Amino acid sequence: MKNYIQEIWRTRYFWLALVHMDIRARYRGSALGLGWSLLNPIAMTGIFCVVFATLFQQNIATFAPYALTGLTLWNFVSQTMAMGCNTFHQAEAYIRQHPVPMAIYPLRLVLANAFHLVIALVLAIILSTWGTGFAGVLPLLSLIPSLCLIVVMGWSIACLLGLMNVYFRDIKHLTDVGLQVLMYLTPIWYPEKLLREKGLAWLVNGNPLVPFLHLVRAPLLDHQMPSLETYGAALLVASAFFLLAAWSLKAREPKLIYFL
Amino acid sequence: MAHIRLENINLTFFVKQDAGFTLKDFLVGGFFRKHYKPPMQVQALDNLNLEVHDGQKLGVIGHNGAGKSTLLKMMAGIYKPTSGIRDVNGRISSLFDIALGFEQEATGWENIRFRCYLQGETPASVRSKQNEIAEFSELGEFLEMPVRFYSAGMRVRLAFSIATAINPEILLIDEVLSAGDLAFQAKAHERMRDMIARARLMVMVSHDLDSTARLCDRIAWLEHGKIRQVGPAAEMVKAYREWSHNPGGKGKNKTGGTVTTAA
Repeated sequence: MKNYIQEIWRTRYFWLALVHMDIRARYRGSALGLGWSLLNPIAMTGIFCVVFATLFQQNIATFAPYALTGLTLWNFVSQTMAMGCNTFHQAEAYIRQHPVPMAIYPLRLVLANAFHLVIALVLAIILSTWGTGFAGVLPLLSLIPSLCLIVVMGWSIACLLGLMNVYFRDIKHLTDVGLQVLMYLTPIWYPEKLLREKGLAWLVNGNPLVPFLHLVRAPLLDHQMPSLETYGAALLVASAFFLLAAWSLKAREPKLIYFL
Repeated sequence: MAHIRLENINLTFFVKQDAGFTLKDFLVGGFFRKHYKPPMQVQALDNLNLEVHDGQKLGVIGHNGAGKSTLLKMMAGIYKPTSGIRDVNGRISSLFDIALGFEQEATGWENIRFRCYLQGETPASVRSKQNEIAEFSELGEFLEMPVRFYSAGMRVRLAFSIATAINPEILLIDEVLSAGDLAFQAKAHERMRDMIARARLMVMVSHDLDSTARLCDRIAWLEHGKIRQVGPAAEMVKAYREWSHNPGGKGKNKTGGTVTTAA
């Protein structure tokens, strides 16, 4: 265990260079550059504001940051899940050449995605400051540990899906379907209150993504630190997924190469 | 002191029988007990014993499928032995399938850097090496382009230049003796010899018997995942040549055992 982590640290230049390349490759040859990261959530937020602010009779100043934070986190989750399925297949050439810890391949993916998440979050902070005023230093600082939890969660999901996809090649397709379902079940752009009022509170409480949404929304929308319950739930979910992913990787890593 | 010691190593492979199965197949097959083909098992290394000491250059020969590449990948730690002791002392540098593993969207320069990192370099050591690598590859301005646009030959040149820019302690080589066009090959051979001379210990797999005999002092002859014979390079090459021309002939198989004709 200790050795494994030391190995990850020893190979840091390798995976950091890969993360760097992933980020650069996405913007190579595009005039907008970083703007592409932001275009999708901005455009979607604009549409939701026009449609749903009217439909649900929401105030745009609060609804816009609500939708943007939701979409930002959702983009991270869906990208991580969709790309996570291929994380080990994509690394096959490296796996066949050098015995480096395989945990670095989902790490590469999740760090590149986290970069875009941070950029979009900065935009969300600006938008929420415009909409509802400055959130305060402490609530904004709480975003840093929250991001760490989100990255741990993302690594675990990418690792699990990547492993499963090595053994069952239809996991990729199932994930695409699952993402569609999850998108409608999660209060990303529709107000969470609506579900609770309609007696569907269990749908919110049982959704493992909701605590992470709260982690981001509490400081930006309510100008508060996330509640202890939110921290507890997020910590529980993240560590459960992490332990499952780490255990699966440990059990599967020695023989994974034969199945790639 | 670098060394490799292998004791009673067994390695069993899993080979997928079809393109890979789906979760659906698994669930359906699991419930109804049909359509489910378990992966095939292949015994690639069979109770193998071998020791390589500091200063030795060992060549591994044998016909296709004898387990040469598997042996090398097991030494490198890429394949884990199913049972037995693998004791390796020293930092391993390996040259396997070097033409693979480029990041297609990244430029030649970026690929130089991250592949050096994969070989265990640090940013400081890469800075001092990257110009030499670029120069040796003779790719010049092409290095500014994404590797996606490179021809197969350019890729091999780049891969070879990077892979051989190391100071190996234990060097494991699998069939990388030919690279690029004729002019480049002459250069490449010289660079290989230099690199091999710097290594404390080398194990090399090749079908080119002459160069194996030239570069190695000892040769291990592998057959069906077992060591058939180990000995001085020249003798082993002679024995292997004779056996290849006349398999199973007059008392050549000193180790006994069954010998099947090489396909």
